[in-house]
Amino acid sequence: MSVIECKGLTKAFGGTKALDNFSCKIEGNTITGLIGRNGAGKTTLLKIIAGYLQQTTGEITVFSERPFNDLTVSANVIFVHDQLNLPTALNLKEILDVMASFYQNWDRELAQRLFDYFSLHPMQYYNGLSKGMKSTFNMIVGLAARTPLTLFDEPTTGMDAAVRKDFYRALLKDYIAYPRTIILSSHHLDEIEDLLEDILLMQRGQMLLHMSVTDLKEWAVGLEGRTVAVKEWTKNREVIFSKNGGLDQTYVVVRNDFTAAELQKVKLAGIKTLPVSSSDLCVYLTSKTKGGIDDVFNKG
Amino acid sequence: MALNLDGAKPIYLQISEWLENEILNGHFVSDQKIYSQYQLADIFNINPATAAKGLNILAEEQILYKKRGLGMFVTSNAKEMIVSKRKNQTLKRLVQEIVIEAERLKVSKDELIEMINITIMRRAGE
Repeated sequence: MSVIECKGLTKAFGGTKALDNFSCKIEGNTITGLIGRNGAGKTTLLKIIAGYLQQTTGEITVFSERPFNDLTVSANVIFVHDQLNLPTALNLKEILDVMASFYQNWDRELAQRLFDYFSLHPMQYYNGLSKGMKSTFNMIVGLAARTPLTLFDEPTTGMDAAVRKDFYRALLKDYIAYPRTIILSSHHLDEIEDLLEDILLMQRGQMLLHMSVTDLKEWAVGLEGRTVAVKEWTKNREVIFSKNGGLDQTYVVVRNDFTAAELQKVKLAGIKTLPVSSSDLCVYLTSKTKGGIDDVFNKG
Repeated sequence: MALNLDGAKPIYLQISEWLENEILNGHFVSDQKIYSQYQLADIFNINPATAAKGLNILAEEQILYKKRGLGMFVTSNAKEMIVSKRKNQTLKRLVQEIVIEAERLKVSKDELIEMINITIMRRAGE
């Protein structure tokens, strides 16, 4: 069953469309990575799913309800982001107590254990925490709430590498024990891709790709070899990325629609076929020019 | 064992190969229950769906069989099937790569066979 269904979702802020005719379905009990460049519309989408914002046009249902101003949705969804409005008059322990009273599945023990593990102090105040510690506290809230739908918007902002790693591990372990629907937006696809089942790639308010991580890894292929030979194989294909490297060497990324026999021929022509990492592929697909930053420096 | 996460090989294939190695090593014997997708996800820190894909490949090849509600088990002739599959696919592919590299380096056929012989002798001597 789809937990989230969006059809033709558009959200305009003044003249600009943060979401532009966006449609997708998110299945239950999956971890989906929401990937896209800055300004692609990721946060706007999450805010609409969580019921914080109302769309301009289009339809959305979350657990078959319209999320905006809906109590069922807000009780079953937690949206964790770096601008959480937590009461400044309460200390961290008191905030956790309030959360426990609101979220039905709240796991007090997990919250406490994570709290101790990351050396947070119950008497501290949220506003007194560093950026990384705020993110850590948010993450604890997001995990312990154990809501059927959990939305993390850039949860690792400010966390150091060790905490990020711990967070990913904690998320996976808790997901294995208590399967639920999780959406994770991140700029670090290479760090999270092993956790994910699906990837949803956004560009300019639209959905570019939505597929399983394993399919995405085989979706494109990199060909590297002598320019003439590579050109021969890529001339009738859409080039996703290309780069000249070294003398007469070219690296080209194309859709992987080669048959096994063709791939064999490619190899025999002295061309290396290389897998394209999901994170590189997402960068290539969402870059505005085919060349990338190098073009800025190439005059003429 | 750690997976080669940046490597050329998809993770689910690495999982199925790792399981094959566990069977070849005798860590799992015929009709023994193999790791569940959740155990594999925990061991390798990967999404359970990816782990399931690794298991399903082996189920499709009938190296594992499913018992409804109980999990996956090792087929009685799993070991033989893995050996013959690896010989016909993996080993053949590796040999082809060696031959292509030898061509590139202008290594003659006799020289290449000599190199293989030396390697076999060295390993026998170890």
